[in-house]
Amino acid sequence: MASHDVRDVLNLPAEGAGFRPAKKQKTAVPRPNLKGLAREVQNLGGDNPIAIVPEISTFKKRRFGSRKPAARWEMRPFHNSARADGSLHLRHWRRRTEGQSGAQSQDGQDAGEDKKETEQKSEELDDSGFAKFNVQVDVPQYSEDQYNSNLTNNDWTKDETDYLFDLARTFDLRWPLIWDRYEYSPKLPGGAGNGEGADTTDPNTAVIPASKVRSMEDLKCRYYEVAAKMMAVQKPVQYMTQAEYALHGIMANFNPNSETQRKKFAQNALNRSKEEAREEESLLIEVRRIVARQERLNQERRELYNRLDYPHTEQDINAFKSSAGLQTLLQNLMSVDKSKKRKPIMEANGNSTPTSAQPPSAHPGSTPTAENSHNRRESIAASTSGSAHRDSIGGGERPERPTKKGAQPPERKKLTEQEEQIYGVSHHDRLSSGPTFRYERINKILTTKSHAQHQRITNTLAELDIPSRLNMPTRSVVEEMEKLLTAIGLLLDMRKMNDKIDAEIRTEQAKKAEREKALAASQAEGGAKAEGESSSQAQGKSGDKGQVNGNKPATNGEPADKAANAKTNGEEPATNGTTDGESDETPDAMNDDEAEQVKEEAGDDRASRPGSSGGQKRSASVLSSVSDKSAKRQKK
Amino acid sequence: MASQQPLPNTQIPLDVYGGDEVSALVLDAGYCHTRAGFAGEDVPKSVLPSFYGHLKSTNSDTSTTTYRDIFGDECLNPRADFEIKNYMSRTESVVEDWDAATKIWEHMLIKRLQPDRETHPSKNGLNDPPEDGEGDVAMEDVENQEKPLAENPLLMTEAPWNAGKAREKAIEIVMENWGCPAFWLSRTPVCAAFAAGKASALVIDVGGANTTVTAVHDGMILKRSIQKAPVGGLWLSQQIRTMWENNDPKIDVIPTYMVENKTPVDAGAPAQAKLRKFPFEIAPSFRTYEEERLLTEFKESVVEVWRGPGRYANPGNEDLVKTQPGRVFEMPDGSNQMWREQRYRVSEGMWDETAALPLPDGSKVQTIPELIKAALNAVDVDLRPNLLGNVVVTGGTSLLNGFNDRLNNELATIYPGVKIKLHAAGLTTERRFGSWIGGSILASLGTFHQMWISRKEYEENGAGIVEKRCK
Ligand SMILES: Nc1ncnc2c1ncn2[C@@H]1O[C@H](COP(=O)(O)OP(=O)(O)OP(=O)(O)O)[C@@H](O)[C@H]1O
Ligand SMILES: [Mg+2]
Repeated sequence: MASHDVRDVLNLPAEGAGFRPAKKQKTAVPRPNLKGLAREVQNLGGDNPIAIVPEISTFKKRRFGSRKPAARWEMRPFHNSARADGSLHLRHWRRRTEGQSGAQSQDGQDAGEDKKETEQKSEELDDSGFAKFNVQVDVPQYSEDQYNSNLTNNDWTKDETDYLFDLARTFDLRWPLIWDRYEYSPKLPGGAGNGEGADTTDPNTAVIPASKVRSMEDLKCRYYEVAAKMMAVQKPVQYMTQAEYALHGIMANFNPNSETQRKKFAQNALNRSKEEAREEESLLIEVRRIVARQERLNQERRELYNRLDYPHTEQDINAFKSSAGLQTLLQNLMSVDKSKKRKPIMEANGNSTPTSAQPPSAHPGSTPTAENSHNRRESIAASTSGSAHRDSIGGGERPERPTKKGAQPPERKKLTEQEEQIYGVSHHDRLSSGPTFRYERINKILTTKSHAQHQRITNTLAELDIPSRLNMPTRSVVEEMEKLLTAIGLLLDMRKMNDKIDAEIRTEQAKKAEREKALAASQAEGGAKAEGESSSQAQGKSGDKGQVNGNKPATNGEPADKAANAKTNGEEPATNGTTDGESDETPDAMNDDEAEQVKEEAGDDRASRPGSSGGQKRSASVLSSVSDKSAKRQKK
Repeated sequence: MASQQPLPNTQIPLDVYGGDEVSALVLDAGYCHTRAGFAGEDVPKSVLPSFYGHLKSTNSDTSTTTYRDIFGDECLNPRADFEIKNYMSRTESVVEDWDAATKIWEHMLIKRLQPDRETHPSKNGLNDPPEDGEGDVAMEDVENQEKPLAENPLLMTEAPWNAGKAREKAIEIVMENWGCPAFWLSRTPVCAAFAAGKASALVIDVGGANTTVTAVHDGMILKRSIQKAPVGGLWLSQQIRTMWENNDPKIDVIPTYMVENKTPVDAGAPAQAKLRKFPFEIAPSFRTYEEERLLTEFKESVVEVWRGPGRYANPGNEDLVKTQPGRVFEMPDGSNQMWREQRYRVSEGMWDETAALPLPDGSKVQTIPELIKAALNAVDVDLRPNLLGNVVVTGGTSLLNGFNDRLNNELATIYPGVKIKLHAAGLTTERRFGSWIGGSILASLGTFHQMWISRKEYEENGAGIVEKRCK
């Protein structure tokens, strides 16, 4: 019934709204294409065309157009070379190869096919591709003689050994199966053939041993015993290869008892109660957790080491070993950093790398340990730049690094005075380049001194019970130490001066005594001149001289003058000493020289003075010039 | 010498697809069903009950009686002088009646699986007058045909304890009667393990006549581990019968064929059905067979296994079950009843000896856990954990609801410290045809070509070759 029939029945207008005709026009196009049943179905739809899949005629065309001749398959016989008999020809479907298809396309008849088949059979048959999977286990073999000479065993007859080896071969050495199927029953005597055979092989077999229940270990033991012996027979032990020797050793040393023991344990393990099992399981879990943790720890440690490990360089690193070298290295690295267009880091002035001059106590503890691990992970860049840094692995001690560039500056808060003190923050106008150790500042003080002086300072420190190398060079300690050392230096200077002047006084007194003797000889000669000389000499020396001078007989003309002179002179060395300590430029050697010179002069005086008065004059001028020289140096 | 040890499992190449079909046939004979089909397929093409009809017909003219065997479930209809027999042994699940076995196997392998051979139009049956209605008739003229299976190697399964003469008889029939080019006998547990993709497994086959537990190692059964007990489908049927007998009201087993019409009745009400009257006597064996059909239906839809943990008899379990919805089963005669706790009780004897309903002959059977324990104790200790990790469950009765849960629980109780993994096919067909499917896989393997006992080997060595080859 078409739709217009329905319309008829329902008294609907024959044609619908205005847009109908347009639609009809559209649908009118495919109609003529339809044929047969499809057209009928289409007609059922009437005005509302039914969507039916049009018959595509091109489909068939294409299929036929591009069709190659169908692949031909044939039932082809084949054999399997892994088979013992070789006569079984099974048949499977195989694609017919080209040459055959050409020949065979002709004969469609059964007879022809049969003929072809027989022809093929006469040809070489395919071998099964699976033949190669046939692997056989190598079970040792022995001859009768070999058995009798090497392999006899009180527990085993040859017959049973043969049986065992037979089973081993049949079951490819799968021991559970061998043991499972082991059903040896000794041959009964009486059978004529049997009896004879037994007699010829071994008289022992005449006594029939009762059939034994053999455990798997018994079987293995016997097998390995025989196998090991046969191995040794075929190839003496000393000629065996490593692998063979190992195998031989394993087989020769098979211990059935320990194996039985082990199986007993295994049996017990299987029969554990639920509680035991659970306990063991929980223990196992615990162990596993511990092991896992250990592993993780090791892993982390290894990671850390890797990170700390500097990349090995082909270049000679000696150039970077000095502090100046480090400085240049730092410069290089920074320029590399910059060339990578990194954001300039705030601490780029040197604090940013672990190698930089940052004192270890600069931010001690300011990094929470939690952040530390984070640091470690992020500081790959640090490890490359700070490559030379290999020690100081301890977690918390790791020199702090800005973890996220740019994130760090805002985090830095202004520290109060007190906090600065606590954290040991110090501000410097100018930092000396490169990292230094604090105790090196102390060392510097010491090493710049001459050996003799160094020795003296050490002795003094020893007297004071202070170790020359500080145990704990904190900032304040180092500062105190510095002060102490300066003070010691001062003290030593003073002492030296003291000694010198003492010596001079002694010379002068000796001179005086000499002179008095001379005076006694020629009283007319001017004692005043001698007095003047002595006072002029005293000018260059210490304040002690004042006292000495004071003690002198009041025969001198100007005692007040002398005392005043001595005072000013005495002050001078003291000021000299302080300036020395501050300027770090202490010409100790020169001081020493001076002292020596002084001594020499004194000696000269002693030697020359008894001679003429002219000599005395000269000595005085020399002395004054010396003191001038020293004064000049001190000014410097 | 270094290659003395077999390859460890890890070194065996796994990526080789080893199929190479040689149009082999596979035959799996059980007590309840016999399955036959082509190797390489996933279900047997032909599944017939191992029960067959034995029809006595007396020729009144010559007053001689002739017997005809009829095979196929659809032909087992009520008729006069019609006995139902089984060619298998009830206790052993091995062939008992070789004549019938030969006939039924021929019927399946040749008549049902082979294409009709072109015979002369006068002999091809199309021109004969229509036959008397029963579609499947024994083929009596096999001898006339030239070696009907000359192109098909045949793989047959056998019960793991099958031995000696029975095996030789099988190869004789196959080689002499059918002319197969090659033959192989494979043990059902091995096949079931292969079907589950295992070479080593503990196979629990809960079939019709028996339940067997066997350890399979590397594709071979471990003979000492074989355990067999009658706790199978038929034993369960007996339990159900006993339960129905003791039910209040007592339930009569009326198989479907006896009912002409019925009217619906309320639960527990007596049936209102008209029974059919037959003008001849129905053999008891036929009725038993039909009852078994009903009982199987009951097993499928009602019987359930208490899933554990613990036994069903443990206090509280039955009370719990009583609060849960039961299942209604309508007998063919229309009487119906709700089954709640009873449906657990009938199956409990498989697990708990004391819970088994007493059998008429008073015999007791070994429970499945006992079988498993005995089987495992007979294998090397080293194998046990592996076997417990590869437990393959197969056989029709293992389809009981809750069977696998209970089995898992029982195993976990016996071996608390060992990892236990059950492999039970999800598809019912795979569970019912497990050993056939394994045989199908085996016979289609390329590497199996070298295993077949060829006709030539048979001719040279005689029937004894099966003992030598099929270990
Ligand atoms: N869904 C099901 N639930 C419970 N039992 C079932 C189910 N399906 C089949 N059965 C039972 O399974 C049994 C048949 O099992 P199966 O076919 O495995 O036995 P079989 O292999 O022929 O016998 P056997 O192995 O003992 O020789 C029958 O007793 C049947 O009642
Ligand atoms: Mg079965």
